[in-house]
Amino acid sequence: MERIADFFRWLNDARGINFSIFYDALDRARFLEGLWTTIELSLICTGLSLVIGVVGAWLQGSGLGVVRKAVQAYIQFFRNTPPLVQLFFFYFAVGNELPHVLDAHGMLVPPIGNIGWAILSLSLFAGAFNIEIFRSGIEAVPRAMVEAAESLGYSRLGVYWHVLLPLSFRISLPALNNNLVNLVKTTTLAYAIAVPELLYAAAQIWSEVLNVREMMNVLLVTYVALVAVLVAIMGRWERALRIPGYSP
Amino acid sequence: MSELPVLLAPRPLLSGGRDPASGLFNGTVLASVLVALGISITIGAARAQAGVVGAPGVATLLVKWAPLILEGFLFNLLVSVLSMLAGTILGVWLGLTRVSQTAMLRRAASVVIQFFRNAPWLVLLFYCMFLLPFSIALPFATVPLPDVAKAVIGLSLPVMANVAEIVRGGVQSIPLEQWESGEALAFSRRQILWMVILPQCLRRMIPPWMNLYAILTMSTTLISVVGIQDSMTLARAALVAEGRTDLFIPMYLMLLSWFFVYCYPIARWTAVLERRFRVRI
Amino acid sequence: MFGLLARAMLVCAVLAGALAAPARAEDAFDKIKQRGSIVIGVKNDYRPWGFVDPSGKIVGMEIDLAQDIATKLGVKLELIPVTGANRMEFLNQGRIDLILATMGDTPERRKIVGMIEPNYYAGATNVLAPKAAGLKQWSDLKGRKVCAVQGAYYNRRVSQLYGPELVVFPAVPEAMSALQGGNCVGFLFDDTLIVSTLSAGDPKWKDYEMPLVSEDPQAWAMGVKLDELNAPFGEFLKKLSVDWHKSGTLIELEKKWGIKSSPFLQEMHEKYKS
Repeated sequence: MERIADFFRWLNDARGINFSIFYDALDRARFLEGLWTTIELSLICTGLSLVIGVVGAWLQGSGLGVVRKAVQAYIQFFRNTPPLVQLFFFYFAVGNELPHVLDAHGMLVPPIGNIGWAILSLSLFAGAFNIEIFRSGIEAVPRAMVEAAESLGYSRLGVYWHVLLPLSFRISLPALNNNLVNLVKTTTLAYAIAVPELLYAAAQIWSEVLNVREMMNVLLVTYVALVAVLVAIMGRWERALRIPGYSP
Repeated sequence: MSELPVLLAPRPLLSGGRDPASGLFNGTVLASVLVALGISITIGAARAQAGVVGAPGVATLLVKWAPLILEGFLFNLLVSVLSMLAGTILGVWLGLTRVSQTAMLRRAASVVIQFFRNAPWLVLLFYCMFLLPFSIALPFATVPLPDVAKAVIGLSLPVMANVAEIVRGGVQSIPLEQWESGEALAFSRRQILWMVILPQCLRRMIPPWMNLYAILTMSTTLISVVGIQDSMTLARAALVAEGRTDLFIPMYLMLLSWFFVYCYPIARWTAVLERRFRVRI
Repeated sequence: MFGLLARAMLVCAVLAGALAAPARAEDAFDKIKQRGSIVIGVKNDYRPWGFVDPSGKIVGMEIDLAQDIATKLGVKLELIPVTGANRMEFLNQGRIDLILATMGDTPERRKIVGMIEPNYYAGATNVLAPKAAGLKQWSDLKGRKVCAVQGAYYNRRVSQLYGPELVVFPAVPEAMSALQGGNCVGFLFDDTLIVSTLSAGDPKWKDYEMPLVSEDPQAWAMGVKLDELNAPFGEFLKKLSVDWHKSGTLIELEKKWGIKSSPFLQEMHEKYKS
């Protein structure tokens, strides 16, 4: 470990190529913290957006027209507007309007911080896509299965949860994986509201140490590697669930 | 293939939603957006009355700043058109390389496509903004590369990779019989590709390509993060100049609704075209 | 197919060669005169040094100074909005000829950018905070959320000395909006901006103050490329800077834009008057 640090210190002194994250403890800590925050953000948003997807797909089958239209409005709004503007809208505009609460120092602060809004906004964004994905998976299940389940005494919710979702999951998986990968890439937007994720950490480092070139390359490679790992894992899962000869 | 007992016959996932609402505009959605805008303006106006007397209403302020922000919005659209053009041209070339017969070319194209599909759009944008030179010294002249050009290049890279995937999907969806018929008629591989295969898959490629354009248009707002003046930066500057907290929600809603009005018809049209071009066996 | 590949490789080789060729070392002074315009990087979110008016034009004290430079050179003025994070990159890439964007003159930056002396202004670091926060001294910031802007030279120093939790935004408007929303207890920035914001009489800043003692006084400087510092362009700017102090132009402009009279400018005016 020390030898690697020494090598990069030499690289900086002799050639002027400054990879400070390898030899400076503070920069390295910041970078790794940023990476961890990105991963955390991705996981939480994935979970939340899956919940939104499942609930939304359920509501779309509701008997009430107004509920169906509300879900449709939500989907179309979040799919056809830029996620960056949505993020700003939530953090600056909506966050300002919410009733403030007292914090430990006796100051009035908004109830949700910037990380909270980032999670909320990104989950709502990804959730809109998930509803569509779940719904098209559900439509691939024949009506006969639903009727069979109903004749066995399942309630509508029971049919949805125990029969439709598990069967449709196989169909939805490729699109869900695509959505997950996009979500990981979309977490970079949180940089604009000062969430300390990977891009933010790298920007901090290159603003202070002034090694833009090196940090940009490290950043690009890190993100590509992270997404590649994700794609590989998801690809194996898809292949395991695939029915030979069935894929559309 | 025929249906399985538990799953219907496979159908491609349609983008844009299969909502039975016909036509290009779903009245409900538009109405709800406008209602939201109206409510926020009314609340803002009520607040203003309660606060400083004589201060201009929210609607007045929106109208005052709208022309400037609209200019920025048109700039966003310009960037999206240029990036789409550049990305499509490069992407078609890359996609055809991806299905070439030379294994080395195929692998190289595959690596490039995977790389640019995996990288976040914002990081690619930062990369191009910071690391591209400000001018290129060709032997006969120096070509300046303004900020906008770098942003267009930065956005066209992921577009290129996605277009390449669309092209590859399109070409690979044409049944083998077409290739064989072409060979039987003594066409060269290039002739088969250009005269037989591509015309057939062009119709199939249009809906995902339009979908990509909608995504790109929404991603043009990223250029505000790297310091280029677009509708977002102008909206923020306007908010700081006015400094009224009750202006925030209406201003952002206005910007959101502009993007919505532009991208939603594209999404609906995509759905219509998909249904029309769906391959019926 | 092979023919196409060979042609593609040839084009790439030519482009690579062209890109790798070193830029012709041309004197900036001559280049500007030849081109007939000077490109100056200024701030567009730092009232009243450089900000945007409703028609979209950038105006401010530094823009007036930039216009003076262009007039004295006899060329047209072109303004490019820059931020703390990208102004030095833009200069070194050649996108702008001169930085006139509230840039602090620090020893680390002198390694990368040529700073024109005498400095044309001086600021110090302080915090814009709501009166309700009750901040009295710098150590009160420990562990509290403090908004800041990317690329500022004082961010690292303040965070190391006083341990606040810095929430760094890409530009000033976001940081100010966040402060107003209560997302942080204060906005760390140069005291000239804070003073001008508070004294503008804007009702929304009524409940805010600049409670701490300004620290780390930092002179501002115009920035040119390192190799231009002792070339005709650099010399011209140095002379012009002396002239500004001598003739009291800077003090006049300060009054025009409503900036609180700074002792630094008074000192420099006395020094150069003789």
